[in-house]
Amino acid sequence: MNPDHEQEALPVEFFDTCEQPFCASRDDFAPAFNAPALINNEISSVDLLKERGKWVILFFYASDFTFV
Amino acid sequence: MAAVAAIYDHFQRLNTAVWGISTDSIYSHKVFKEISPSAQQVQFPLVSDRTQKISRAYRVLDDQTGATFRATIIVNPEGVIVSKMIYPREVGRNAFEILRMMEGIQYGLNTGLGVPANWVPGMPGIERDPDKIGKI
Repeated sequence: MNPDHEQEALPVEFFDTCEQPFCASRDDFAPAFNAPALINNEISSVDLLKERGKWVILFFYASDFTFV
Repeated sequence: MAAVAAIYDHFQRLNTAVWGISTDSIYSHKVFKEISPSAQQVQFPLVSDRTQKISRAYRVLDDQTGATFRATIIVNPEGVIVSKMIYPREVGRNAFEILRMMEGIQYGLNTGLGVPANWVPGMPGIERDPDKIGKI
């Protein structure tokens, strides 16, 4: 996602009236998901809703075979 | 990834699950774990977001490339995001900072104290005393 250079001079006031979309930011609910996962070399799955009662760190990385 | 794997025990002691997520297929994850020396050390789940739905929902999808940003998101036991960090293109994560944040969050919740800048376990927290405002 490249910054739009036509927007680079927008003043903070511009954002007063712009409706806040869901940003998945601090204090937002974490979207629930169930997805395939490799666990101990076995093909399995994970379900975020099943982790209630635990802390979960989601560690997003761009690609396998690159450093993270 | 190996850096987090190396301190994974500490996260487990903090009742914290760690999941790696990319938009690669589960098959790519499998071969990655088999051949990459750093991935071989990973004992936590590697999640496949091949539909990109998870990355999109968490607003970390780079839709120019179909890959996700390098991002670390902490979800609390109630299912609420308490921290979201997006890293520069060029720079990898600091696993110790992620651990420090988890320790700091739990220390703050357990003691009710504020957790100051550069706090590390063993250091005191800060009393939330209105009389101290402006005096620290």
